[in-house]
Amino acid sequence: MTSLRARAVTGGILWAVAIIVLGLTGVSSYLTSQTQARFVEVVETRHSQAVVAVRNNSDTTNDLVLAIGDLVYQVPLSGQYWQVETADGGLYVSPSLGDARLPRPVGRSEDLQRREFAGPDGEALFGIGQWVTVSDGSLWHVQVASSLRSFEEEQVVLRNTLLTAFAFVSFIGVLGALTQVAVVLQPLNKLRQDVSGRWEHEDGLEVAGYPIEVAPLVNDINTLMERNRDIMRRSRRQAADLAHAIKTPSAIMRNELDNLKMEGAEVQEAIDALDRLDAQLKRSFARMRADGTDSTVGVATNLDTALGRMERAFQALARNEGKTFAATYPQGLRVRMDQSDFEEVMGNLLDNALKWAASDVQLDVSERDDGQIMITIADDGPGIPKEEIAKATQSGQRLDTSMPGTGLGLAIAHDLIHAYGGKILLARDEVLGGLAVHMRLPFASAKRAD
Amino acid sequence: MRILIAEDEPVLASQLKKTLMSEGLTVDVAVDGAEAQYLGETEPYDVIILDLGLPIRDGLTVLKNLRSGGNDTSILILTARNDWTDRVDGLDAGADDYLTKPFHMAELSARVRALIRRKAGKATPVFSKDDVTFDTRTNQVMVNGIPTNLTSQEIAVLSYLFHNSGRLVSRTELSDHIYQHDGDRDSNTIAVFVNRLRKKLGSDLIETVRGRGYVIKATA
Repeated sequence: MTSLRARAVTGGILWAVAIIVLGLTGVSSYLTSQTQARFVEVVETRHSQAVVAVRNNSDTTNDLVLAIGDLVYQVPLSGQYWQVETADGGLYVSPSLGDARLPRPVGRSEDLQRREFAGPDGEALFGIGQWVTVSDGSLWHVQVASSLRSFEEEQVVLRNTLLTAFAFVSFIGVLGALTQVAVVLQPLNKLRQDVSGRWEHEDGLEVAGYPIEVAPLVNDINTLMERNRDIMRRSRRQAADLAHAIKTPSAIMRNELDNLKMEGAEVQEAIDALDRLDAQLKRSFARMRADGTDSTVGVATNLDTALGRMERAFQALARNEGKTFAATYPQGLRVRMDQSDFEEVMGNLLDNALKWAASDVQLDVSERDDGQIMITIADDGPGIPKEEIAKATQSGQRLDTSMPGTGLGLAIAHDLIHAYGGKILLARDEVLGGLAVHMRLPFASAKRAD
Repeated sequence: MRILIAEDEPVLASQLKKTLMSEGLTVDVAVDGAEAQYLGETEPYDVIILDLGLPIRDGLTVLKNLRSGGNDTSILILTARNDWTDRVDGLDAGADDYLTKPFHMAELSARVRALIRRKAGKATPVFSKDDVTFDTRTNQVMVNGIPTNLTSQEIAVLSYLFHNSGRLVSRTELSDHIYQHDGDRDSNTIAVFVNRLRKKLGSDLIETVRGRGYVIKATA
């Protein structure tokens, strides 16, 4: 069983059942014996009354019915009976017995004899009988009997009351167990939420906010997250180093092949192969980068810094081409994205925009009411026809092969934005008339830069 | 026009040097960051081609040091890394342009020419003065529409004077920009080149200001 709540509930129910069984058995057997003792006591008292009446009225036996004058003896089959016999066969009974008789005495013992037997209407009776010697020396057998019905009814009521009480106690017990589990599990729920909202925790989870029993787990999670980040960083570094190691030799080969081509050698196939190799490498590294972001945690990019850098860089590049680049963005915004990934997206898109623009490239950033960041990069170039927009974001699709490039820029930006849960949309820019790339990126709320 | 190539991969460096020299540019090569910075600080280059992945001192540091030392030579950075972060680092630190490896030599020389032109404040790649035209993209010189053959030294002198047209250029400055760092310099040979250019292109093109230098008056 893996659910802690199910464990607690099952445990609570088992406890409740055990309490009910043991408690009911123990308490009810105690109370039963008490009730029984009281019942016997009552019957004994009735017997004593009968004995006293016999002693006082042994000479005038006809008055016995009056002497044992309790009204319950007058009502037929009332469940309370007496029967007095003399040694010589005289027999007196309570009117309640009617024509029925109690069982005959056994032996001549002057001790109290207790026994159970069937009464006049078949019901169970408890009787006490005794031979007594009265003042004139004669022997009398005095017997009283009492129906067990009232005793049994009392027993049933008692058992029902007990059952109700224990059921209530059990219910409270299970409820208590559930409440306790909820309280105990609360820090774990918080932990789960914190981990799922891990983007916000750039420095890991706050250990101090957890009970000491959970804190080691939180520490472990922090360690794991940090290690995850390390692995990401390392593998990116390695990929970059690998790219670096391959590209210089590739550049050398390309130059040699270009020279050979100029000298008239048949090397076009080799150049094409090298083109494919370079494009494949670039695509693979871009893919590695986009895949890696799925497990990147706790990252945020300060737009003031990142866009400031992009602005200066692209103003320099725009100047080279005699074009203008303008960026407008409010201060203090942050996006939930690794800075190098953000710059990768911006670099690719701005590079494209600058390449196609007739003279102007514009970058605008705004914050939406729901906290998402909208970034638009627009140019005054030819734009992309509607029917080709979907194609443009597919990897390696070059819409115009007359311009240099691998056709990866838009696809790389598209993949990266999606990896971070953002959206990217291509459209015609209403103002500049060229392509407008609209991006929606998640806002990083924690540690807002002031 | 003098170019510094700071590239540690010897084969690539020599390919670059060969290509640029074939275009009439004077080229020095630095094989590490320290040498690149030293040459950049002491020699009057027109363009520095700076690989970011240099040994001893990385290219970005060299770039920052040159800029903080007041050097405003046009700098083209080369990077083998895919990341835009590297390029943005370089551009943000004051580089004028970038190229990612692998690149086409034609692309590189076009960028270098564009940087030289921009520094000189020239908008077009073709200079002309009276009946002489000089195409910086091909180093083709025409007189009245007829191609003229010039040696690489002659082209180097003509190119520098055209790029600095309207400004008096001293012999020392000319020799600084057409000779390699470790090459033999003789300012008398400058006079020889100028005389040959006058013979081939007409005596009006380059004017001599006695004792001070040469000038090509404002060009179209």
